[in-house]
Amino acid sequence: MLIMGEVHTGLLRNLGELSETECREVLRLTSGEEPRTWQRPLLYAISPDVLTGVDCRLPSSSGARIRGTGTVSHRATIVGGRVLQGSSYTTLLRSDSDQRLPWSHYLAAPGVVEVYGRPRWQDMADGFVTPEPPMDVLNVGAISGRLMGAVQDSARLDRKTPFKTTRTRLRWLFERDDARGDGRPAMRLTLGRDTMRTLRFTGEPTTDVVAFCEDLALHDWLLTTLQTLIQRALIGTAAPAQIAARLSPAIDHLLHLWMPGARVEEPFLPFWEELERHPGFTRQWTSSVARIRDQITVNTLSLLSVTESRREADGDPSPRRGVPQDRTQSHSHPVRRRIFFRADQRSRRRS
Amino acid sequence: MLVFAISDKGGTGRSVTSSNIVYRRALRGNDVCYLDFDFGSPTAGAIFNVSTAERGTDRGGMHSYLQEKVAEPYRVDVWTSSDRSALRGKPPGAGQLVLLPGDSSGGEFPTVPSVVQQCVRLFLRLDEEFDLCLVDLSAGRSYAADMVLAATARPELAAIPFRWLVYHRWTRQHIIAAAGLVYERRGLLDVGAAHGHDKRRLAEQIRFVRTAVVEPSSPDLSALRSTQLAWLDECNRDLHELAGRNRVGRTAMLGKVPLDPVLQWREQIIVDEDVYASQIANEGTTRAFDDLATKIFDERAWEGL
Ligand SMILES: Nc1ncnc2c1ncn2[C@@H]1O[C@H](COP(=O)(O)OP(=O)(O)O)[C@@H](O)[C@H]1O
Ligand SMILES: [Mg+2]
Repeated sequence: MLIMGEVHTGLLRNLGELSETECREVLRLTSGEEPRTWQRPLLYAISPDVLTGVDCRLPSSSGARIRGTGTVSHRATIVGGRVLQGSSYTTLLRSDSDQRLPWSHYLAAPGVVEVYGRPRWQDMADGFVTPEPPMDVLNVGAISGRLMGAVQDSARLDRKTPFKTTRTRLRWLFERDDARGDGRPAMRLTLGRDTMRTLRFTGEPTTDVVAFCEDLALHDWLLTTLQTLIQRALIGTAAPAQIAARLSPAIDHLLHLWMPGARVEEPFLPFWEELERHPGFTRQWTSSVARIRDQITVNTLSLLSVTESRREADGDPSPRRGVPQDRTQSHSHPVRRRIFFRADQRSRRRS
Repeated sequence: MLVFAISDKGGTGRSVTSSNIVYRRALRGNDVCYLDFDFGSPTAGAIFNVSTAERGTDRGGMHSYLQEKVAEPYRVDVWTSSDRSALRGKPPGAGQLVLLPGDSSGGEFPTVPSVVQQCVRLFLRLDEEFDLCLVDLSAGRSYAADMVLAATARPELAAIPFRWLVYHRWTRQHIIAAAGLVYERRGLLDVGAAHGHDKRRLAEQIRFVRTAVVEPSSPDLSALRSTQLAWLDECNRDLHELAGRNRVGRTAMLGKVPLDPVLQWREQIIVDEDVYASQIANEGTTRAFDDLATKIFDERAWEGL
């Protein structure tokens, strides 16, 4: 048997963050059923699984014409009211029949595709992870893509993007660990040359694997998006104010979302631990965040020295004159907040 | 931002100029994509030297996507897929440069409501990711032009700004044809209005681009006899007058691209290497592309006519 799936991750098409109620409304439309939500440690809203019936050719690296019938499960998730995921997956099992049975048979086992003949699992697995499989084979990614589109097109969203981002795709494949059987996780994560990542791993089959893959896809997207922002900021070349402006979407929308493993069941935590060792997700994230904060500080300092010299020219030593006290609290932009904070310290030192 | 590139006639330089514009915006850090809606002859792959999409793709190009035969359109990342070494490898600070090729066996298809809806979906989807989506339409009055006029009139796209570039060469025939494409009966304004656009506001989103222009004052022409130069000068003055009368004059023009020896021979992206290292292309050409790339986003260039 094999479990295969694909998770697409992208920024929700809405200027502001969605509240729990809004997440529910948006997701209800995709399935017609009540989504589940969690408040801790971060707002998660997950639509119930919906099924898509398939009766088609299955992937094969040798080009063999294998067919299967059954259903693919899919669901949409909104993380932090900000990031959208479309996830679809199915378990491939050998069929006891060599012809199609009534649909009621397949509906009795949701999220399973029965494979006709003698399946060669390895061949199917290799076929699934090839970058451009034939157009007529089962494409779970297309189902994820359609699901993303359905949510993004929701009339509940204002269809405005706070900043431009690229969706990433994680194609994953879970195989039963027959060969090794020592219980240790074995996995391989490959970054493609575009936005596609593939993950192959082995273990005891359970559908908890889906939540793990979604969590990994989320953090891979966060990291990818952060790296893109940093790369575009042209640190070391552009002016500090420009760099700060280019980095500000990270602070406004992304940094608080980093919580690897938050939604992952116990048996899958070792996989996260392995990813933390190599390639070192959180290591890269932490150093990127530090880099961003440093740049913002540099910009703040250069802004301060400008205002300072202006003030001296005006003969006005008080940095906060005319600024109501609660402005410093109500202003949500961290850059600004820091300016006021430092200005405070200075004025105190002076008096 | 959506930018639609159109021309009345084929061979005006619409695809080559548009490709160079998106290339220059990508160099400046914008995420850009180029959509090949020239359903009759998809060629954008060739301009970017992407051999896998030279004559469109058979893996679900624009036609297949608009007819809902595939869930996601096939996309080509130029920085990783171009066969030309000068285009391979994203320069520091550059944005995405993505090509959405047409189908290799495409052809036109009629604008039915489901196709317009799918077009709306596509534009929304791309707006999530790109600062600039340049849509290369076919020459003349086409289904593609009709479809995007219908799509951009839909309330779902109200938040996404769009602009039109009408390309023409600097000749009598081209000037008259370009004006006709916009202002005449069943022209862009008429069709747009029929789809629900406000005619005046639509007109404000349309600008003309002159291609392969030879200036009589150009140093390239210094070898001509003075009688020839005087004659050229007079022709040029006539053309300006004709353009003005047809509402294709200076105020309606976004920019012009000089005739370039390289482009005369080959449809390609002009990279700095072509200008400064091998010196086969003219600096004036890249300056013109840069100028257009700037003005597309410059509100002052789009203030009321
Ligand atoms: N500025 C220019 N100078 C000289 N030739 C040009 C220029 N712009 C385009 N061309 C050439 O004109 C021909 C038609 O250009 P193309 O972009 O394919 O036109 P269209 O897309 O309008 O059909 C091509 O051979 C192209 O290289
Ligand atoms: Mg063309």
